[in-house]
Amino acid sequence: MKKRQKQAFKITPWRSHLRVTSRTVLTAIVLLIFGGLYLAVNARVAGSGRSVLIMQMERAELQRQISELTATLAELTTPERMLERALELGFRPAELGDIEYVVVAEYVPEDPFVAPKPPNSTTEREGGLSPAYTETLGDWISRLVSQGSERRQ
Amino acid sequence: MIPTSLPYRRVSVLLAIMAMSALAMFIQLIRVQFGPYAPVFSTWIEAAEDTEAEIEPVRGLIYDRDGDLLATNVPMYYLEVEVFQLTQASRKQIAAVLARTLVLPYEDLYHQLTADWGSLGQYRIRLTREVNGGERWPITIDQVAADVLKGFLLDPEAPDLSGLKPVPAPKREYPASALAGHVLGFVNQEGKGYFGIEGFYDNWLGGKAITVERGFIPPEARIQPDTPAGVNLVLTLDLDIQQMIDDILRKAMEDSGSEAGQIIVMDPRNGEILGMAILPSLDPNNYEPWLAELGVEAEDLETEEDELVINPAVGGQFEPGSTFKILTMAAAIDAGVIEPDDLFIDRGVIEVGGVKIRNWNGGAWGPQTMVGCLQHSLNVCLAYVASEKLGAAPFYEYLTAFGMGRVTGIDLSGEVSGQMRTPRHPEWTQADLGTNSFGQGISVTPVQLIAAIGAVANEGVMVQPHIVRAVVGPEGAYWPKPTTLGRPISAESARTITEMLAESVEGEARYAQVNGYEIAGKTGTAQIPTESGYDERWTIASFIGWGPVSDPRFVVLVRLDKPESSPWGSVVAAPVFSEVAERLVAMLEIPPDSVREQITAGN
Repeated sequence: MKKRQKQAFKITPWRSHLRVTSRTVLTAIVLLIFGGLYLAVNARVAGSGRSVLIMQMERAELQRQISELTATLAELTTPERMLERALELGFRPAELGDIEYVVVAEYVPEDPFVAPKPPNSTTEREGGLSPAYTETLGDWISRLVSQGSERRQ
Repeated sequence: MIPTSLPYRRVSVLLAIMAMSALAMFIQLIRVQFGPYAPVFSTWIEAAEDTEAEIEPVRGLIYDRDGDLLATNVPMYYLEVEVFQLTQASRKQIAAVLARTLVLPYEDLYHQLTADWGSLGQYRIRLTREVNGGERWPITIDQVAADVLKGFLLDPEAPDLSGLKPVPAPKREYPASALAGHVLGFVNQEGKGYFGIEGFYDNWLGGKAITVERGFIPPEARIQPDTPAGVNLVLTLDLDIQQMIDDILRKAMEDSGSEAGQIIVMDPRNGEILGMAILPSLDPNNYEPWLAELGVEAEDLETEEDELVINPAVGGQFEPGSTFKILTMAAAIDAGVIEPDDLFIDRGVIEVGGVKIRNWNGGAWGPQTMVGCLQHSLNVCLAYVASEKLGAAPFYEYLTAFGMGRVTGIDLSGEVSGQMRTPRHPEWTQADLGTNSFGQGISVTPVQLIAAIGAVANEGVMVQPHIVRAVVGPEGAYWPKPTTLGRPISAESARTITEMLAESVEGEARYAQVNGYEIAGKTGTAQIPTESGYDERWTIASFIGWGPVSDPRFVVLVRLDKPESSPWGSVVAAPVFSEVAERLVAMLEIPPDSVREQITAGN
């Protein structure tokens, strides 16, 4: 059987060429498939990572805005400011003679204030992403062009 | 010919596109590897060798008892520049915009933007400004300015600010500014809390930093655990009461020409400090000038922290003077050595341990009951009670039980213990017994005094004064219970001395009265000790009182240092107490005695 095979390849050498070529092509295709899959997965991971970074930054920015607004609100409602505004509106502090005490049956006093639980601190990349990572080739070329035009001016 | 060349052309075009793509990728690779950002990558690679980073949590917030915010965090921004992003135009325009909006010298900014940072291995710099003494501090801007700059960066029509990056960082903010500044303390630029609540609860408020693995490229941007923030604190302070006593104290200081002043309001039933006004004030938002007045540099705070008296209510000792007579009389009543109606013949002078003690006016007041002794604030009578009726050992035992000579443990940093010499002290003499009986030769802090007097108001039970009402962490809220420091006198003795003082207020301290409410209290006019004896000109005028007598809801201490208009506590401090008490009964919704009696009778 082996003898016949050898003879066949001797008579038609293109057969062995075809076999080598087909095996090479098959290997290349398999490698390409694996490479493509690897690239696709990595691209998705990178994309997701980027989304996470952007969302982290957005969340941190929102928390900063909330802090700023909370502080502004607190400043606007300090007793000093409220008293000023009340006086402007024609009110005055109640004096002893102004106050009438009324007994209210089954009066339930207000519950004491409970502060909100502290929120977790947002993890944020300091200063955001460096343009070293975000600058595309197009950005770079346009920057070079703008710098060149500046120099000419 | 055409049909045969078409596939060839197509293949050529395809090959050309592929070649161009390959070339673009090749250029990008070369540019990344060797281009202007190559050093940036090198720096990042070096930084990436340290794969762990410590993340500081957000500092906890501080609220008053009704939820008004006292301390919060707001964003501030450092101005950083990505050196390789700068263009010639952006250098000029960044310098121009910042110089104009932040009122900074253009040349200084332009110089920073044009310096050769790359040769120093710096690719991202933080812009600075010169402060006094040639020091350079980072330029910081607030949220509004940062929003304007961010708008410029996004708007193609706006000035070219390419390369400029506002980088956020948290900053401690106190919305009520100087109100309760001494109580709150402050946080320095490194985020460390000093003095007051910020100092005492620094570890709790600051939280615990966590170490995370750093991810430098997007695929490594794993969702890192968020750092738990520091705890939020709810204080016992009532911001409305704080504002009220602050306003009254400010006016009282102006009217009396006093150098400094304090008003403390405490609930004697649980030791909650409802208000603590201290002037001159401290604005924690702007503490550097205040430190400069004390001759302390902000950088030296760590080393000099223990030396500084930041909150005189807990760290400032003074000789209490006649307000201390309450404790002497309470001790004698509780020991059973005197009765309120016991008679004392005041001859104007008494000798104790070889030292002659005289009354405040140098006069003799003749026959007086013990109530009269308190009413006229007779030094001679109290020295007699302490030395001849009570004796040294019981007297000092009572004072120790009232907390003299030791800290109260209030949750404010910088508390000191005051000074009291007892017979065990080698330098103690019998004369000390005589002078101590009317508040001389002994030093206390205002908080010590109010805690001790609070025991008399609270049926003899002394409660630890405290500022924090609730601690709120990620696991929930914790409400510390009031701590009882002891029972220096019996409830009966406390009621007796309260009645005596209520009666005495109607005499000497009539300016302290409040219409419709029975008030107990005592004036104090203390001399100020100097290295060469007592200051002959200046005094510390004070008043300590509580009410309503039948169900005390507040103890108020008023202290005015070096008043010019009159040295006497009965003249300058008692009316201030009255004004505070009048507002307090309204704010705390305490009905007048007659109404309360009706309610009690109805029940």
